[in-house]
Amino acid sequence: MNAATPQAFADAPLVEMRHIEKYYGRVHALRDVNLTIRKGEIVGLLGDNGAGKSTLIKVLSGAVPYTSGEIRIKGKPVVMTSTNDAINAGIETIYQDSALVPMLSIARNLFLGRELCAGPGFLGRLDQDRMNAVAADLLRRVGISKNIPPTTPIGSLSGGERQAVAIARAMYFDSDLIILDEPTNNLGVAETQGVLRFVREARDTGHSCIFIAHNIHHVFQVVDRMVVMRRGTVVADDLSPKTSTIQDVEDVITGEHLVI
Amino acid sequence: MTDQGTTSEPHTPELGIVRRWIAKPEFGPLVLLVLMIVVFSWINPAFASITNIGNALTFTVELGLIALAMTLLMTAGEFDLSVGSVFGFAPVMMWAFFNAGVLSLPLAFIVALVIALAIGLVSGLFVTRLGIPSFLVTLGMLLVVRGTALWLTSGFPQRTWDAHDQWLSSVLVGDFYVGGLRIYMSLIWFILLAFACHYLLTRTRFGNWIQATGGNVGAARNRGVPTQRVKVILFMMSAAMAAFAGIISSIRVSAANPNSGSGYELEVIAMVVIGGTVLTGGRGTIAGTVLGVLILRLMRNGIVLIGVPGLAYNIFIGAIILGMMALHAGLERRHNTGT
Repeated sequence: MNAATPQAFADAPLVEMRHIEKYYGRVHALRDVNLTIRKGEIVGLLGDNGAGKSTLIKVLSGAVPYTSGEIRIKGKPVVMTSTNDAINAGIETIYQDSALVPMLSIARNLFLGRELCAGPGFLGRLDQDRMNAVAADLLRRVGISKNIPPTTPIGSLSGGERQAVAIARAMYFDSDLIILDEPTNNLGVAETQGVLRFVREARDTGHSCIFIAHNIHHVFQVVDRMVVMRRGTVVADDLSPKTSTIQDVEDVITGEHLVI
Repeated sequence: MTDQGTTSEPHTPELGIVRRWIAKPEFGPLVLLVLMIVVFSWINPAFASITNIGNALTFTVELGLIALAMTLLMTAGEFDLSVGSVFGFAPVMMWAFFNAGVLSLPLAFIVALVIALAIGLVSGLFVTRLGIPSFLVTLGMLLVVRGTALWLTSGFPQRTWDAHDQWLSSVLVGDFYVGGLRIYMSLIWFILLAFACHYLLTRTRFGNWIQATGGNVGAARNRGVPTQRVKVILFMMSAAMAAFAGIISSIRVSAANPNSGSGYELEVIAMVVIGGTVLTGGRGTIAGTVLGVLILRLMRNGIVLIGVPGLAYNIFIGAIILGMMALHAGLERRHNTGT
């Protein structure tokens, strides 16, 4: 597929969403949303509750269908009707509490839905040894290998370790875009710093990220650019943490800046 | 040891063989089973006799077969209350077709299994597509299937005694002797299917999907696991296994009674949970289920042999269920805290 990609697409942004509309019944959840993500940037997605962040993310990860509009990936129009479409297009979404299966091991979580198997289809025999080896290597690379064997159930890891596993998975499968939905919620200070470090590491190895967090301080520490949504539409898409203050951004989120 | 903070919580793999064994969900039922065997044969040596063991094993497998499929279904987070009625219904259909001269016995056998698969398919689609809890769907299905069996037969058992010259009946319930031990083919089927289910659950991609579907359905779906298809397939397997067990039973007792299998669904679920499978899904163990099957069966057999009135059987079963659930809950809590 890549070989056939014309040269013109090489410079195209990683993801372009154009004029995306989404209705839930009569509720107009997304109104003419335009969003561009370039390769290797971390974009913070901000907005108050109900601003449309979650819907936008679900559209981009194939979890809900959009009503109209166009999504292009590396310049090519794509149709997203399932989470598998998104994963195959290189978009990995890490949801807060539905990214991992607590009772399965780290290795099995890493490869869930993409198991290494001998033999095809349903009855393929799991290559447990190879999955464990890859997982152990990956854990070492993201720096949480300390005494944690890859056969440990996810349920016995801390919140930060779980986020790290989810991010490591996205990096391993070489997703172009990693969407992190509230990755720092309920985490302690040290764990939050760990997760932010993984996000930077993901960017440094060429992955783009969309970072969603209520805590603007966390967003400021890690993003290159901020996009703000309000009432289902994008109201600002190029706020920089270098030139804006947290107060500025909060004003855009609440709409206070319009009052002045 | 000094306090090293939360991030360096020791995840020691070398916990010691003994402690890891004790932490396994199968450990409790295994101890209980050994204890039962010791106590029963101490009080009444006839318990350990070849004849008694042979008998106990024979009757074990019919419920045991259903328990195997139920273990997989429960690991995926659902359960099936209609297995008892399918157990009664499938052989009624098979023998009705055969006795009427419409189909040969092997064909009637296949048709009965296909009908069971269709029943499982309908249950599965109701649960996955309409989002109705499996408790309600399969309760409804139980009544529909049992009602159909009673209505079609006017409540009378179907004749089965033409079975003895059929090769199919030898394959399903024929017997042979190993030393003094009379072994029924149905036991061989149970052993083969137990290994097959264990392999399926622990070693294959489908087994991984089963565990993920029961463990966190949202995560599994987000990873592209076809969770709805997994559940539908398991509902179909559970119905087909119930039909298979019912047919074996009908040939063994030479009667296809539309009422047979009443109450089996709860006994099967009891076997599965005693073995350590979690009712809400995510973790299941075929080895544990085999232990659970043996525990309930030997209990029924043993308490009669040691002179406890048979009517008191349910008291023991209930106590075992409660005791095992307390044990598993304790293990679960330890498991989740990572110790």
